[in-house]
Amino acid sequence: MADTQPAQPDRPIMEDEHALIRPKRRAGSRVDLTPLVDVAFLLLIFFMVTTVFRRPLAMEVNMPEPGATVEVPASNVMTVLVDRDEDMFYRQGDGALRPVRWEELDDLFVAGQEANPDLIILVKIHREARYESMVEMMDTLEEAHMNRFSLVPMRAEDARLMEEGP
Amino acid sequence: MAARRVRIHTDMTPLVDIAFLLLIFFMSTTQFKPPEAVAVDLPASTSEIHVPETGTIILTITRAGEIFLSTERVLDAQAVLPSDLMNAIVTWRGMYPDAVVIVKGDRDAPFGIMADVMDTLAEAKTLRFNLMTDLKERRPGAGARDE
Repeated sequence: MADTQPAQPDRPIMEDEHALIRPKRRAGSRVDLTPLVDVAFLLLIFFMVTTVFRRPLAMEVNMPEPGATVEVPASNVMTVLVDRDEDMFYRQGDGALRPVRWEELDDLFVAGQEANPDLIILVKIHREARYESMVEMMDTLEEAHMNRFSLVPMRAEDARLMEEGP
Repeated sequence: MAARRVRIHTDMTPLVDIAFLLLIFFMSTTQFKPPEAVAVDLPASTSEIHVPETGTIILTITRAGEIFLSTERVLDAQAVLPSDLMNAIVTWRGMYPDAVVIVKGDRDAPFGIMADVMDTLAEAKTLRFNLMTDLKERRPGAGARDE
């Protein structure tokens, strides 16, 4: 099997012959990387565009047992009403309705809680108001550390009072 | 011109290295937007509780007030009439007893429908549930009191 053997050089190998050959071979194996880079960037842009870093978040709700009732003195109750157009009113105990803006709500809760630590908030939202107003209200209550509040169905009487204005 | 072209040889290896590094980063961190039974605009809140990715029953309420029940797999989404909601919730809770109930309401849905849904959930003995929201930036000043 002589022909499978590597050809023997007919002259003795000089010591630095490899140093002479190597640069030549390297120059021959140059690969054009441009298409590779093109594809890599294409994929990179695709993943950057489709990436969603945010996962959906949620608000926890604990409902009371249906039918459970708690007796509360009227003086410990503040009622906040949201009408159809998402204008807001509040009432301390059995007092008169007063208008309040969304930006003032936070301060109202904090002031109310400072004046009366046992304060309970009743929230009445008109059925035709948007769901967002409920989330907004719960969020404001949460931020004011008001953990005792109750969502109460709005009576026709409340709706009428609000339409008449304070 | 030809002579100049031949002479320019940029070594692209570092560029490729960086490109692939970023590519692998984005590939591994990517989470495709979870499929939705019905598209809804979520309301925003400052709550930062994450919704579990599996083991959920999702109640979707659209802007028009239509109600859909599904799990996170979404393919099993089912439209429910308000009058059938009670039975549907009980059935689904029976099928997935350990599932967390998530209410995914459109921000423009009428409050009345949402109130009915929440009352029905309470009647069906689902007193704990989550309202799915988007993250809202805390208003300046609101956090100051927390310190």
